[in-house]
Amino acid sequence: MKSEGLRIQRPAVIGAGTMGMGIVEVLAGNGFSVQVVELSQDLFNDALQKMDKRLLRRVEKGKMAAREREEILGRIRYVPAINNLDQVDLVIEAVVENLAVKQEVFKDLGACTSPDTILASNTSSLSITGIAAKTTRPERVLGLHFFNPVPRMALVEVVAGMATSPALVEAVSEWIRTLGKEPVKVKDVPGFLVNRVARPFHTEAYRIVQEGTAGKAQVDRIIRSAGFKMGPFELQDLIGIDINYAASVSVYEGYFHDPRFRPHFVQQRMVESGALGRKTGKGHYSYES
Amino acid sequence: MSRNIAVLGKGSLFTAVCRFLRERGFAPLTLEQLADHDVCAVVDVNPGVDGQKRQQLQLAEARISPQTPIYTSTLHRTATEIASWLSVPERVVGFSPLGLEQFPVLEVACPLQAEEVKGWDQHLRLAESWGKQVERVGDQPGLVFPRILSLLVNEAAFALSEGISSKEEIDTAMKKGTNFPFGPLEWADRVGIEQIAAVLEGMQREWGDDRYRPAPLLKKMIYAGYVGIAAGRGFYHYQDAKLGG
Repeated sequence: MKSEGLRIQRPAVIGAGTMGMGIVEVLAGNGFSVQVVELSQDLFNDALQKMDKRLLRRVEKGKMAAREREEILGRIRYVPAINNLDQVDLVIEAVVENLAVKQEVFKDLGACTSPDTILASNTSSLSITGIAAKTTRPERVLGLHFFNPVPRMALVEVVAGMATSPALVEAVSEWIRTLGKEPVKVKDVPGFLVNRVARPFHTEAYRIVQEGTAGKAQVDRIIRSAGFKMGPFELQDLIGIDINYAASVSVYEGYFHDPRFRPHFVQQRMVESGALGRKTGKGHYSYES
Repeated sequence: MSRNIAVLGKGSLFTAVCRFLRERGFAPLTLEQLADHDVCAVVDVNPGVDGQKRQQLQLAEARISPQTPIYTSTLHRTATEIASWLSVPERVVGFSPLGLEQFPVLEVACPLQAEEVKGWDQHLRLAESWGKQVERVGDQPGLVFPRILSLLVNEAAFALSEGISSKEEIDTAMKKGTNFPFGPLEWADRVGIEQIAAVLEGMQREWGDDRYRPAPLLKKMIYAGYVGIAAGRGFYHYQDAKLGG
């Protein structure tokens, strides 16, 4: 497929959460001036401060020049609402994972931006087709699924909804490469590619433990011995057991309860207990600070 | 004590096990050579999808002493089922032959018939003498790593046949998006498609759960002989065919 020879000059990001600000950092780090929409200036300031802490740490470690940090910060501009966006050519939405909320955002984006503007969602679990349907130009809507932490993870899933222009998918993929990221084109299926294919790594590990085949630490040792950086349980503690459980349920529901994706009740018990991993000091393992 | 070990099986896994044993100062023997040699163990890497495994194990057992341990691949069948074919079932040690040359850990399983037999652990000394960190796990087809790998490969095979992404993209995505050491499809080519399918079919048979249903693409690849690097073709093409490793 011939590419459109995409020229992105004025990108914007909707939502200054962890994923949103990670994307902002990558864009600004690549020299783009980025407009960021968040519900209030205070929320935006907090998010920017968090990001700046990361940049400062890199400056202290000598991994970034002090001037580069200033330039990055200088390229990021707060915008109070979608209808205040100024001549944007690409918008990446990274608001809460809720279809109704995202659809509302895309309806506004469709109304407030030029017909050529590319509208992307960073959703990890919702249908791009369903989000795009709320705009008047679903052919210009696609998924750009970045991975956490965005500045460090190279992969971006470029998701084509049912109506997305194939040429646009090609062009955006090429542009993603210029950001130093690795694009992978995927179809709009539940969990897209990575979250779907990686599911058994986690859900099968729970079964192996629950049925008495091996202990958690044993599973992690065996899996590390096979070349993985982390076993499933230590990895879940890092990701967050609640996040991993939500992904499991979402893929399972998305495939209408195909047994291949069946989550395990112990995942739910862990979430109910509040042991969510490193962030709560306890998950599959204990993390005494 | 004899340094001879009878190795049962064929293909790249058989070659790899023989090489592994030779590097540790053991002499691998074939089933035929058993007639006039003593051995300290039998190592069987047949996945056991067909009747070969049973036949070879019974032939081997007739030619060895009752104390000689039999290490057998439990990728497709439980150690308990395999032990039930033998006259001295408590000598059986189930194990995973995958990554024998690479992984520091060796997964082993004890058949139900040997669970209350004192001294079964003695059979593990051999694996320890190979420099392995032995992990004893429950007796299920595919043990731990082969089972998780097989499910990852199965899902990747479904995704590929559904046209969700290309094979290269699937492998790239899993390496860059989740830090997998290999993409699932290239990993399957290394291990052998027939080993992956054996684990899935074994789990499906023992548990009766559709969760383990192999992707039709995997079965078709086996029919076509596209079983991985050793065959010159799996998910990918390999110019240097018949590497035997």
